[in-house]
Amino acid sequence: MASRLLRVCGTLRALRRPPCPWPGGIPSNEKQATGLERKVMQDMEKGQDPYNILQPKRYPKEDPNLVPSISSKRIVGCICEEDNSCVIWFWLHKGEPQHCPSCGAHYKMVPHHLPH
Amino acid sequence: MAHQTHAYHMVDPSPWPLTGAAAALLMTSGLAMWFHYNSMLLLTLGLLIMLLTMFQWWRDIVREGTFQGHHTPPVQKGLRYGMILFITSEVFFFIGFFWAFYHSSLAPTPELGGYWPPTGITPLNPFEVPLLNTAVLLASGVTVTWAHHGLMETNRSQTIQALTLTILLGLYFTALQTMEYYEAPFTIADSVYGSTFFVATGFHGLHVIIGSTFLIVCLLRQIKFHFTSTHHFGFEAAAWYWHFVDVVWLFLYVSIYWWGS
Repeated sequence: MASRLLRVCGTLRALRRPPCPWPGGIPSNEKQATGLERKVMQDMEKGQDPYNILQPKRYPKEDPNLVPSISSKRIVGCICEEDNSCVIWFWLHKGEPQHCPSCGAHYKMVPHHLPH
Repeated sequence: MAHQTHAYHMVDPSPWPLTGAAAALLMTSGLAMWFHYNSMLLLTLGLLIMLLTMFQWWRDIVREGTFQGHHTPPVQKGLRYGMILFITSEVFFFIGFFWAFYHSSLAPTPELGGYWPPTGITPLNPFEVPLLNTAVLLASGVTVTWAHHGLMETNRSQTIQALTLTILLGLYFTALQTMEYYEAPFTIADSVYGSTFFVATGFHGLHVIIGSTFLIVCLLRQIKFHFTSTHHFGFEAAAWYWHFVDVVWLFLYVSIYWWGS
């Protein structure tokens, strides 16, 4: 009871107090964010995304997924989105990049030789 | 200590869902006890436990978000979806009562005299207090938007003043409507007119009280510096709810008060 009364007094005092350190009186996220929210904010400012918040790399035609293979074709299984249980299977042939029929991600074969 | 590699919030175990369910059980059985056995004990206990649950559960959410920083952008997005879905469900709740009103009023039965308003009912003049109520709620929509802009523009005094004004307008609406209820020449028992009028406007009034309470909580949090200029979803949720309440009133006014007279 007494603690609740003290808290009410604190709230009223916060009204009468002159404007706080921040211009205008309302803090920015930069000043007040804490915990994981702050960590995410700081990482984003550095251009990092360690918690995978943004969409992953899309693999356009100009920057395809490079798939090594020792023969002229290889089966590719595309898991279009994280945790998808339906894997899109297709043959990837040597030469021009191909794209997944479901999500459009591009794959290009990189021929390799078996060491012997 | 293992840290999570995702940005979502895995909530700590909490007793409030259980106490909430207990409150729901006590309120429903309490209602039956009140109807049939003239006892309000279970109902009162249920209401008390419900209020305690709401206070403590939402207090914990404020602690998790504002003080512990668990409300990352993906978490906030989820909260937004949640509030939108909740308001949508409330829209459908009101659609039911508007359906009942239009069903009854578009084809008035012989028992009503074949007219709407029914024979013997003197409806309230839509251009008196109901029009004032409309102006009050529309003005409160303006002031809550003003408060939001104050918040985004880091203007503390304007935010607090505009939010206070919004709450006062909301309370003014409630007071006016209470007086209207007291002074109305018809009651809930006066045919389907009374039923549709008081159930629809009554639930709306309850939502005004809920919305005003939400705004009061936002005002207290704003005074205590909880909100930042970019992260203030609690306030946005309250503002969305308040606009919803305003829109419902506009439909009520046009349908029941104006067309229905």
